[in-house]
Amino acid sequence: MLAPIAVADNGGFTPVAPESPNAEGIRDSYVFVSIFVLAIFVLVQGLLIAFIVKYRRRKRPRFEDGAPIHGAARLELLWTAIPVVILFLIGAFVFIELPGIKNIPSAGASGQLEITVTGRQFYWQYEYPNGVIAIDTMRAPAGVPVRLEVTAPDSDVIHSWWIPALGGKIDAIPGTVNETWFEAENPGTYTGQCAELCGLEHANMLASVELMPEAEFAAWLEQRRREQGSGGGELGKETWEGVCAKCHGLAGEGGIGPRVAGSIVLADPDAIENLVRNGRRTMPAVGSGWRSEQVEALAKYLKENPPSGP
Amino acid sequence: MALKAETPPAWQRGKVASWLVTTDHKRIGILYISTALVFFALAGLMALVFRLQLSQANADVLSPDRYNELITIHGTAMVFLVVVPLLAGFANYLVPLMIGAHDVAFPRLNALSYWLFALGGATLMLSFFAKGGAAQAGWTSYPPLSTQAPGNGQDLWILSLHILSAASLAGAINFIVTIHNMRARGMSWTRMPLFVWSILLYAWLLMAILPTLSAGLTLLLLDRGISIGPWDVQTNFFNPAEGGSPVLYQHAFWFFGHPEVYVIVLPAFGIISEVLPVFARKPVFGYKAIAFSTVAIGFFSMIVWAHHLFTVGLPIPLQAYFMIASMIIAVPTGMKIFNWLATLWRGNISFDTPMLYALGFLSIFVMGGLTGIYLAAFPIDWQVHDTYFVVAHFHYTLFGGAVFAIFAGIFYWWPKMFGRRLNEKLGKWQFWTLFVGFNLAFFPQHLVGLEGMPRRVYTYADESWEGYNLASTIGSYVMGFAFLFFIVNVVRTSRSGPRVGNDPWQADTLEWYTTSPPPPHNFDEVPYVTSARPLYDLRRKLRVERGAREPV
Ligand code: HEC
Ligand SMILES: [Cu+2]
Ligand SMILES: [Cu+2]
Repeated sequence: MLAPIAVADNGGFTPVAPESPNAEGIRDSYVFVSIFVLAIFVLVQGLLIAFIVKYRRRKRPRFEDGAPIHGAARLELLWTAIPVVILFLIGAFVFIELPGIKNIPSAGASGQLEITVTGRQFYWQYEYPNGVIAIDTMRAPAGVPVRLEVTAPDSDVIHSWWIPALGGKIDAIPGTVNETWFEAENPGTYTGQCAELCGLEHANMLASVELMPEAEFAAWLEQRRREQGSGGGELGKETWEGVCAKCHGLAGEGGIGPRVAGSIVLADPDAIENLVRNGRRTMPAVGSGWRSEQVEALAKYLKENPPSGP
Repeated sequence: MALKAETPPAWQRGKVASWLVTTDHKRIGILYISTALVFFALAGLMALVFRLQLSQANADVLSPDRYNELITIHGTAMVFLVVVPLLAGFANYLVPLMIGAHDVAFPRLNALSYWLFALGGATLMLSFFAKGGAAQAGWTSYPPLSTQAPGNGQDLWILSLHILSAASLAGAINFIVTIHNMRARGMSWTRMPLFVWSILLYAWLLMAILPTLSAGLTLLLLDRGISIGPWDVQTNFFNPAEGGSPVLYQHAFWFFGHPEVYVIVLPAFGIISEVLPVFARKPVFGYKAIAFSTVAIGFFSMIVWAHHLFTVGLPIPLQAYFMIASMIIAVPTGMKIFNWLATLWRGNISFDTPMLYALGFLSIFVMGGLTGIYLAAFPIDWQVHDTYFVVAHFHYTLFGGAVFAIFAGIFYWWPKMFGRRLNEKLGKWQFWTLFVGFNLAFFPQHLVGLEGMPRRVYTYADESWEGYNLASTIGSYVMGFAFLFFIVNVVRTSRSGPRVGNDPWQADTLEWYTTSPPPPHNFDEVPYVTSARPLYDLRRKLRVERGAREPV
């Protein structure tokens, strides 16, 4: 049980190892602040312990007076001024780092990619410029600045987009579009999760970014576009697993929503369409605003893979 | 002040009845403290239950809805039903005694304040039995989650907070009027005990911020929809589909919520400023600086609220402003810490239980203050906001800060309140178990937060978070265990604890001038106050007179 503590990112004494310049800027600010924090921590605890040891009563009478010192203006001025200087330094460092954290780098040869991120109970929906839709797992090209427009539908609640290795979090607020970005070099999968309490399955609103070499990404995007055009492919599976399964279980066995395995609704594309667009009783309209391609993909997937949980 | 010695009617003289109808500030103070301790036990037990759920990855102890109810009520109760009322209880008991008054300015308003508090607390706790269970949107209850929540739990949460606000407001008015008008002869502003200074600021702050909370809550209630007679009212202040703004609520809540932290922490500071000098046998170092920093903190605390909103996408210049303003608060806070340290310097320190708690407070609160710097630096906050790092931070300030100070206060003033001392040995056992348990419970939360664990998740799949969480859970049970010592202590000493005189600690402030416990009218006569340490002056005068009488 202790082993993972030892290996992961300095055991949590610094933020998750950064993979994008903005996360790096934040980590650097964190380390800079830590220098002063550690120094003050050691100073105060040290003085506290030293005074406790040195000025304990020992053999003196219980109520004998200590030194009759009421204050010392110079000293007090000193410990007012020094914190001001320290805070000034911290503030200055933060402002120096800020542009590198906040501003998206200007696009290189291969331009920049823009993805819309929509937080919904309890899934993340991504939309690429060519109309490709993906859920929960975002694919992105390595070495290319990726701009994220983060929002939530008017009928939903607030979520917060956060992949620690790729930068700070930004809230997905109904009716508002916020912006963040990342640019990472190393292909791999970076994970995170929703950081704003958004309801019962907030804990399972996970997100990940799969970073691929640029060519591979381009091929993926093109393939998804073709599949989506013909009403099929991965999108159906992603929708079932990312959207429906959070409440109904991967095999439709039930969770915070009822068991739906074997439900006739799932075998009927029109019924599915009606259900996801309008909701039913306590089930929210989880697919309001979806494009018809997505509903079709879901219906097709469910027809081919009817959930058959216990 | 002339007091008519009216005999109360017979039905009011019974053991229970006399407490129900009391308007004596001392009894109301004790009622406040004991009721709040009951809520403390309840809210603490809730934490023990959800810590069990978090002790392992993918645990199955609680369903998501039960989990969300428990964290919501735990947080709300700890702030509104435990820490604030405990301090209000101390303020009730002590302010009139410390300033040499016979009671607060409006004793009956004071009683009303207590009973509203009890009602609001009962409303919150009983909301577990409401349709749909208790509120589930967290103690901050952000819309749209809170406006969309089905059932009545959220409505009762709003109702409860409305009642509690009214209670706090009544109390605040009372303290302000009392402190401004009823101080003993000679007690100028700069001779007032530092605890009284802190209560003055506590009261002014409450007056300034509670109306904003009430407004926010009322809008929340209206957005959820209410029926008045034949009319159904349903507004859209926070509903973006109709042009409202969910973030508006966050501003209202935190305009109240951040100063609320200081409403809690300032009186805790006040307790520390009373306890440290007595057990170091020195005057507090820099009385004026401490009093001034109390005022400064109170003022600045009202202009920093949006540091809780760094991730909603505010324009950068605004975020920069709120960072700078938040950092400025660190200056007067640091001032206090160094002044307290300097109070120990060249003292004659005894380590009775109140002092242990005060020293423990210093050690823990520094940590909470320092992690606040990370949160104020907004780009760092983008990383750690809404993670366990924040949970750790505010438990270091509110538990490590406030609760440790409160126990310093309980052990310090207990002899005054009941005329008997609590058992020192049990007190020290309690302190050390609590100190170890606290750090075990909350230190690892900084780490797991930085590792990426958000707060308010009922489960997690990442097994590398398990070690930290298990440590936290064990720590929380050790803390729970520590409070058993306190219960045993109270039970054991209530009959048999050693009796004490007026001033067992040889302290400096006026409450020690009268008997323990004080008579209903507090003082037969109040000495003229010659400094911030009237009893110290009296003791010295006595020594001098005795010296003069004795042959050299
Ligand atoms: C936020 C949780 C949630 C999500 C996400 C969700 N459901 Fe549901 N679902 C429910 C609940 C709750 C009910 C029970 C509704 C009722 O009867 O009150 C339900 C009911 C159903 C039913 C039974 C309807 C009937 O009465 O015949 C089906 C079928 C169903 N859901 C399919 C889906 C599909 C397909 C998806 C994915 C597109 C999905 N659900 C997503 C919560 C959810
Ligand atoms: Cu969430
Ligand atoms: Cu704050």
